[in-house]
Amino acid sequence: MLQTSPAAPQSAELPKPILQLVGIRKTFGAFTAVENIDLDVREGEFLTIVGPSGSGKTTLLRMLAGMDTPSEGNITLHGQLINDVPPNKRPTCLVFQSLALFPHKSVGENIAFPLKVKGVDPAARKARALELMRVVRLPESYFDKNVMKCSGGERQRVALARALAYDPEVLFFDEPLSAIDYKLKKTLEKELKDLHRETGKTFIYITHSLEEAMVMSDRIGVMRAGRIVQIGTPEEIYGAPVDRFVCEFVGEVNTLKVTRGPDGAWQGVDVPGTFTLAPPRSGADLKEAFVVVRPEFMRILGPGESADNRLEGVVYNEYSLGSRIQYQVRVGAKVMLVELSRGRALPASADRKVTLGWDAADAFTLES
Amino acid sequence: MGHRRTNAAIWTWTLFVLVAIYLPIVCGALASFNKSRYFGFPIKTYSTEWWQKTLDSIEIGMIVKTSISIALLVTVFSVVIATFGALAFARYEWKGRRFYQKLILLPIFFPQPVLGLAMLLGFNAVGIQTSWMTAVFAHMIWIVPVVTLVIAIQVYGFDPSLEEAAYDLGCSRTQVFREVTLPLLWPGIWSGMLFAFLLSWSNFPLSLYTTGADSTIPEWLYAKMVAGYTPMVPALGTMATLGAAGLLLAGGLIGLLLRRRAAA
Repeated sequence: MLQTSPAAPQSAELPKPILQLVGIRKTFGAFTAVENIDLDVREGEFLTIVGPSGSGKTTLLRMLAGMDTPSEGNITLHGQLINDVPPNKRPTCLVFQSLALFPHKSVGENIAFPLKVKGVDPAARKARALELMRVVRLPESYFDKNVMKCSGGERQRVALARALAYDPEVLFFDEPLSAIDYKLKKTLEKELKDLHRETGKTFIYITHSLEEAMVMSDRIGVMRAGRIVQIGTPEEIYGAPVDRFVCEFVGEVNTLKVTRGPDGAWQGVDVPGTFTLAPPRSGADLKEAFVVVRPEFMRILGPGESADNRLEGVVYNEYSLGSRIQYQVRVGAKVMLVELSRGRALPASADRKVTLGWDAADAFTLES
Repeated sequence: MGHRRTNAAIWTWTLFVLVAIYLPIVCGALASFNKSRYFGFPIKTYSTEWWQKTLDSIEIGMIVKTSISIALLVTVFSVVIATFGALAFARYEWKGRRFYQKLILLPIFFPQPVLGLAMLLGFNAVGIQTSWMTAVFAHMIWIVPVVTLVIAIQVYGFDPSLEEAAYDLGCSRTQVFREVTLPLLWPGIWSGMLFAFLLSWSNFPLSLYTTGADSTIPEWLYAKMVAGYTPMVPALGTMATLGAAGLLLAGGLIGLLLRRRAAA
């Protein structure tokens, strides 16, 4: 049930697909890791597949790189079937989660490795390796350095340069930034995005961090239990999630279950009240639905302020998130989250009894 | 103070162990410098006469050559078999893998004299004349499992994604082996070679049954101890020990260099 966001621009003026997946399925014994995936990867795009661990994203990537063969379905590259083409015969290259740098080779030897395999002569190899070291911002003096003596960030750059030396048409990344500290990760994410623009190659990146995906990608595919649940631009994933799973993947959310009352109005199930909701995107006439409100769209109403929907609650906890403050508000048996910018924080003396409010346009009405 | 007492205890214990291990070896070495033909302490007159006789002996020369030939062949064959065996059970997932892991260890726990006798009977049954070459085979039965274990430790120690990465970067299967697998396994293979050589060099029970008319150093030493003792016995014993120690030292140094290159 692959759903394309309605806002996605259609094919005509888009670059042609470089990689096409049709009905891809991968089973290991009785376990199905990847279930019926259809996907067009456009030439030159930065596509990120996000999903929790065990969602099948690594298996999907390994099939694209040629390290696993699909149990069913076809993978084509420029229209040519490549299901059974081994990795060494594919114009693709994978940057491993562990980076897989050769510990017995120097930085330069690692980067020049694909060229050595191709039979390029040593002088040309060295020249190209030094050129690539400039591209990934490694100092020339590192050429003879032992890779194992490099820092985490330097190793990332070596792995990247080595992949580029292979001159692949498509580069795959298997969460290479997962073991890097936050600040360096932010730097490397931006560098990777720059590199994508400079090289014009197709990048397919997998990660469990949607934040990472948001920063870098042209498109994001969200995977769950072996399927791509939604694929679209970062704005579409954030602004028009197809279900609660995608919403929750983006961050903490408030979810309320609602049913149609006898008069056709939406009634709360976990909290009392009648709610005004935007129609579900699918347009279906639902009997039951979920309302999802992101904490940043939930407001604490002052006297005289109005909103489409209101809830009475009691603030019982607050957390500082740096520039913002998160409040936990108990509404009946539910806990609702509200995030306010620091400038609009509740005064310490304020009544802990508050009125929450949100507008129908700021919430999602979802079937599941 | 508790700390000082602990230190004293450690030193006393270490010294005790070293003395216990090396005293017999030193005594053996001293016995080889006894001018008198008969074994006995204290030694009245020292001489290098028996060392000279040992070095000059044609019989001993042949025995040393036999021991070296067996040890070298055992080393080469066991390392090749053990390397692929270790890769098979440490790297690949296949039916019966766990069973193979246990099965390959079994010969180590089998009493060697029984194993030797069984092999002798086996060779006789199929009509193979025993000689130093059959001993090569016999030694391997016991040494291949040990070497497989030693190399498997190295295989477990390196990330399989390194091989996948090389394959992904355009290597053929043989290039992956030559460029990545073999260089990374070298320290383990080197240790395995040393183990194989030294275990074969000093093996007595298996050789006793399976060398036929040929004789190895440990066999000769045993035979002369039983009948016809001269200080050539401790002299050859000391030489064999020194040779093994020298090999171990040189091998250890080379191994250290390999490890530093592979992992540092």
